[in-house]
Amino acid sequence: MRVFICEHNWEAMLSCIYDAWSSKLGHQNIRLCTSAPEQYSLLDEYVTVSFDRGKAESVMDAVNLKISPQVYSEIAYAAMSSEEDALDTIYRVLILGFAYGPNVLKMVSYKDVARFFEIRRSVGNEAHHFIEFVRFHEIRKSLYVAHIEPKNHIVGALGAHFNDRMPSENWMIIDDVHKESIVQPKDEDFYFKKLSDDEFTRLLCTEEENDEYTDLWKVFFDSIAISERFNPKLQRNLFPIWKRKHAVEFK
Amino acid sequence: MYEISQDLSLDKKLEILSDAAKYDVACTSSGSDRRGQKGMLGNSCAAGICHSFAADGRCISLLKILMTNHCVYDCKYCKNRRSNDIERATFTPREICTLTTEFYKRNYIEGLFLSSGVIESPDYTMEKMCETLRLLRTEYRFNGYIHIKAIPGASSELINSAGLLADRISINMELPTEESLSVLAPNKSVKSIITPMSAITEGIASHRLAIGKDARMERAVINDRLSDTIFSDGRRQNGRIGADNRTEGIKDGKIIESINSAILSNNVKSGGIFLPADPKDTSLKRPFAPAGQSTQMIIGASGESDFDIMSTAQTLYKGLDLKRVFYSAYIPINDDSALPSLETPVPLLREHRLYQADFLLRYYGFKVGELLSEEKPNFEVGVDPKCDWALRHLEDFPVEINKASYDTLIRVPGIGPTSVKRIMSARRYGHVNFAMLKKMGVVLKRAQFFITCDGRMMGNIPIEEKFILNRLTDVDRKTAYDIQNPDNSVQMNLFNDFGLSAGTA
Ligand code: SF4
Repeated sequence: MRVFICEHNWEAMLSCIYDAWSSKLGHQNIRLCTSAPEQYSLLDEYVTVSFDRGKAESVMDAVNLKISPQVYSEIAYAAMSSEEDALDTIYRVLILGFAYGPNVLKMVSYKDVARFFEIRRSVGNEAHHFIEFVRFHEIRKSLYVAHIEPKNHIVGALGAHFNDRMPSENWMIIDDVHKESIVQPKDEDFYFKKLSDDEFTRLLCTEEENDEYTDLWKVFFDSIAISERFNPKLQRNLFPIWKRKHAVEFK
Repeated sequence: MYEISQDLSLDKKLEILSDAAKYDVACTSSGSDRRGQKGMLGNSCAAGICHSFAADGRCISLLKILMTNHCVYDCKYCKNRRSNDIERATFTPREICTLTTEFYKRNYIEGLFLSSGVIESPDYTMEKMCETLRLLRTEYRFNGYIHIKAIPGASSELINSAGLLADRISINMELPTEESLSVLAPNKSVKSIITPMSAITEGIASHRLAIGKDARMERAVINDRLSDTIFSDGRRQNGRIGADNRTEGIKDGKIIESINSAILSNNVKSGGIFLPADPKDTSLKRPFAPAGQSTQMIIGASGESDFDIMSTAQTLYKGLDLKRVFYSAYIPINDDSALPSLETPVPLLREHRLYQADFLLRYYGFKVGELLSEEKPNFEVGVDPKCDWALRHLEDFPVEINKASYDTLIRVPGIGPTSVKRIMSARRYGHVNFAMLKKMGVVLKRAQFFITCDGRMMGNIPIEEKFILNRLTDVDRKTAYDIQNPDNSVQMNLFNDFGLSAGTA
């Protein structure tokens, strides 16, 4: 078995798909992944693929033209997953896609397509979770920064929502786990940015800045609960403790 | 009463005025779909977004506050009533705007829920509230969700202004009969509530017609599949909300009569009526309360039966096209001879049963008359209203999953709108069996007593009321206990029961 390994970013993944495809080893004899295995096997051969614009673009075009733009955006979305088999599953779905066309995502009885949807759904759920529970902190006059710690690389999936919500503010969302961010300058388009260690350390402490509205929010949060209906278990079911890390009302 | 000077700090005001607003149940931000815009702050998402959950487990989606808790009225059940000696405060319009926009930018909330005690007069209060919303929509360029509570007795012009500034308007019915209103809310009358309510209904319908939509609000899609629901008359009529939507013959309570007569008198007027609103608000070019109208009734402060309450709710859905009716278990805060004593437990289970019944009206095609009657005016404690109905109609069961219609399937306990849809689409490709039902989200521990798959039941079950009742109450007992005693148990979530996502309104 030959294992193709690449970095976890979309262009590198596309390049990796290109190399795997053109290796002509037979689909059953290869595997793709975005992280080095915990334990190398002597029977497998490992190849590291790095980003190559030409290769990435040709996969991009092939998927868009020969399958469909919808399928392309679905796989790009699912690629934000941190699941170990995410890239490999995408590869398998593409094999089916090139054979059967744009209906590939309806073929849920195929195990790769079913797995693809599981991955897609868990990315979607996590993105939705942060749409609800991201908390921005004003660090300087009219500059809002939020920190999140997601399992998947979903910070990119939050851009469109918050851009629509506040297009005319300066804000950024930082993924502390993967050191990725989404940045929106006032009245401009938002963009994705990988953070350098230096940038990351400087941004790490924004939650310590004093923001008077955090305190007001806590006042509101406490007084809006009806004590006669006190129900911490329900609260915990709906908002589990592990999800509360950056929710300032619980600090 | 304390006379509070206006230099109370902002956090103190926020504490007082959110505490005073917390008994209002509606906090959903759903029903409006609006994209953001450059230069503005905010959008609105039809499904609604929750941003946190308070210690009572209720979702926080909106900044829920009163403009002031001063009140010239003396509703017996209310903490803010004139005769109570409590701390009072009033927000300035700018304070409300700043709190809303600053909270919004931090992603704490989806918008504002603004209610108020009555200062000077209903019109004066409503005018102040509109002024605040106008400032928020214009100078503060706020484009997120706003729910405004209209003041009973306020004029139609002001109601119309409020409708143009907000996404949802509501007026609390509070009590389902004239009698208890006159005892518990002596300054309010059925007329002072129903008149603005029907003005809102008119405003919404007119604006919907003007932009080419059906006059009546959208309802859950499942209703289009069912042959006869509380919404179907209005659909077929596809036009004005009229006399045909009166609820007849279920109950001769005064409120229902007055709703009916309000509908009739509106129907006499012809065509789309636009009430003259403040031209400033008309020029904002906003749709009129796109998320519709809602109301709330207090449960357990007065002697009404579940039948009274649900009949009123159905009349409001049918007659005035309300989007939602909320039920709020009475929490004894005032010691008053007209009210239940302070030790009375909060009727959480009863509230839960009413919500379940409300879902049956809005998603299952049930009508109140099928669930309750003069002879059986209250829901069972032990089983939910749908099981209760099924147990009284055992002659209709079991139903064959592979043959039954939408109307029949939706009435099977343990089967909800989503699973009906899945069953129907799976049937096109082959036969459905019990294992598949389980995957589709059917709750077999309830449904098993009422269904067959290809002629066979899941176990050897006698179709016998007593037997099934015992089995079902076993299923329900823990849940029922948990709901009434939230402190020491995990409360079931209503939305889980029905397989619906939270925030559905
Ligand atoms: S009008 Fe009645 S319910 Fe409303 S604040 Fe005043 S006393 Fe309370």
